[in-house]
Amino acid sequence: MRSFNKLVINEWLKMSKKRSFFIPYAIVAVVAVVLAWALKRWAGDMVGSAFDYTAMMSSTHGFGQFVAMLAVIFTAGMISSEHGMGTIKFLLIRGQSRGKVLASKYVAALLFALSLIVWLNVISFASGAVLYGTEHASGAWRDIWIAGGSSLVYSIVYMSLTFMMGVLTRSTGAAMGVGMAAIVLSGITIPKSFYKYVLFPNVDLSVYSHGGHPPIDGMTLPFSIAILAVYIVLFLGASFVTFKRRDIA
Amino acid sequence: MNHPNDIQVDAAVLSLRGVSKKIGSKKIVDQLSFDVQEGEVVGLLGPNGAGKTTTIRMIAGLISMTEGDVFVRGSSIRHEWKKAIRHVGAIIENPEFYPYMTGYDNLKQYQRMNDWISNERIDEVVRLVGLENAMKKKVKAYSLGMRQRLGIAQALLHEPSVLILDEPTNGLDPAGIREMRDYLKTIAREEGISILVSSHLLLEMEQLCSRVVVIQDGKLVTVRSIGENNASGHEQKNFVRVLFRVGLLEEAKNVLGSQNDAEILQVAQEQNELLVALRYKDIPDMVTALGAAQIPIYQITELKQSLEDEFLKWTGGNRIA
Ligand SMILES: Nc1ncnc2c1ncn2[C@@H]1O[C@H](COP(=O)(O)OP(=O)(O)OP(=O)(O)O)[C@@H](O)[C@H]1O
Ligand SMILES: [Mg+2]
Repeated sequence: MRSFNKLVINEWLKMSKKRSFFIPYAIVAVVAVVLAWALKRWAGDMVGSAFDYTAMMSSTHGFGQFVAMLAVIFTAGMISSEHGMGTIKFLLIRGQSRGKVLASKYVAALLFALSLIVWLNVISFASGAVLYGTEHASGAWRDIWIAGGSSLVYSIVYMSLTFMMGVLTRSTGAAMGVGMAAIVLSGITIPKSFYKYVLFPNVDLSVYSHGGHPPIDGMTLPFSIAILAVYIVLFLGASFVTFKRRDIA
Repeated sequence: MNHPNDIQVDAAVLSLRGVSKKIGSKKIVDQLSFDVQEGEVVGLLGPNGAGKTTTIRMIAGLISMTEGDVFVRGSSIRHEWKKAIRHVGAIIENPEFYPYMTGYDNLKQYQRMNDWISNERIDEVVRLVGLENAMKKKVKAYSLGMRQRLGIAQALLHEPSVLILDEPTNGLDPAGIREMRDYLKTIAREEGISILVSSHLLLEMEQLCSRVVVIQDGKLVTVRSIGENNASGHEQKNFVRVLFRVGLLEEAKNVLGSQNDAEILQVAQEQNELLVALRYKDIPDMVTALGAAQIPIYQITELKQSLEDEFLKWTGGNRIA
């Protein structure tokens, strides 16, 4: 376990020592602050408090989808850059199993998505608190949790897809392209019964909150969770099986 | 584990047993077997495309073997990879690092992957390869020579028993090549480590290795000890090739041809030269015989067959005599 943590630290450092690492955090911060100010200026009564604003921003309909895109962009390069730079040859001859190495990369990607969502929430809440105050009704915390949680699930699903594509194709472009296309496609729903078994209509769990209607009749929260779990297991299964067997040329 | 040649396997630090790699229908490496003993520096020699890099990738477990197995300190790369790879330090093709990190941060990455590597060990290997002043620089600012050194530091970090280097002098200038050779020798001595170096630069191998394994088209061609050929004790008994430049070619031919244990290999009419194979100890007798026949001798040269000549012969290249 300790050795696995160290591998995750390695992966985190590989991401964070890049000069471009702060950019997603900066974008999220700037947008959250500017939007808070703009809404106050031009749509004064739309936002009630910092709680409203935070829940709105971190939901998949707010900025959560953008966070997923950032996570996809970072995940896409995790495997292919090791192949591209050739560093994979050193990485895989240090006595740590390939499964462990790949798992550490996945965990680092999860931490990156989590950190972005936490950051989005913190900045949104802070700027909201300054501009709108922190008065709130009961259930306000719950709304934030639902918004942030569903954004996190949303990010994890598309990151897992991107991760798999990165392992299979060893190409940043292909992985990013598929991940992004999937995010865009998730907005489209085909109102047919078979479509509920497809990934897309199930990804946004926030549709079930506040007594909302699912995109297709017959879908429930446990159903969607089960479908997502199956897809994630498939994505990761394909990634690990491929990565473990591959000849590293 | 059940495998043939148990005794040899245990004595050797690294042993390949019938290793093959087939991609598609092509055998890139074919039934390759050889050993590297404790403290030995062995060259893996072969022309471009011979299968050197493929062999090294299989030793490191980066690619699978179609047949055979590799043993490192008796542990199988196939079945006990973790145990075996612990004793291997390697650079495969070019040493590639994370360019946006410093040399030190790169080494820290590998330190975190084996818990027995101390900070002192990092300092030690950095000193050994002479990179003390470059550790705080980003790797993208490194010259190729510096990256090679960092590669060696990386390979030594976990105190391996055998160092495997794939063309370590590739792209280095003559001074860099010489430096590399010198500190590989230093490392072999100070760390008491075995080294397997691949190369197609023969002169390099002659100066660095005590033995060379020659491969071509993935097959073992020959294993040669260097040094042995040049030892004077051997030369007393061995045949050498001597070039005589004389005044009277036909007469010289008759004289030399009539001697026991001397064979005329080549006659160069225009240059008045004879290439003769004879025992080293018999050279004075030949000179006396030629003198007795009143044949002028202008020049006597021993033609040492360099490893390069042999290499080209083994690998079927055109030899220029
Ligand atoms: N993945 C692969 N698929 C098909 N052929 C391959 C593959 N990898 C290597 N080869 C072929 O196998 C042969 C041996 O390649 P290898 O890289 O091992 O040679 P080498 O001895 O290292 O050569 P060099 O001195 O040029 O580095 C070459 O003919 C190469 O084209
Ligand atoms: Mg090669």
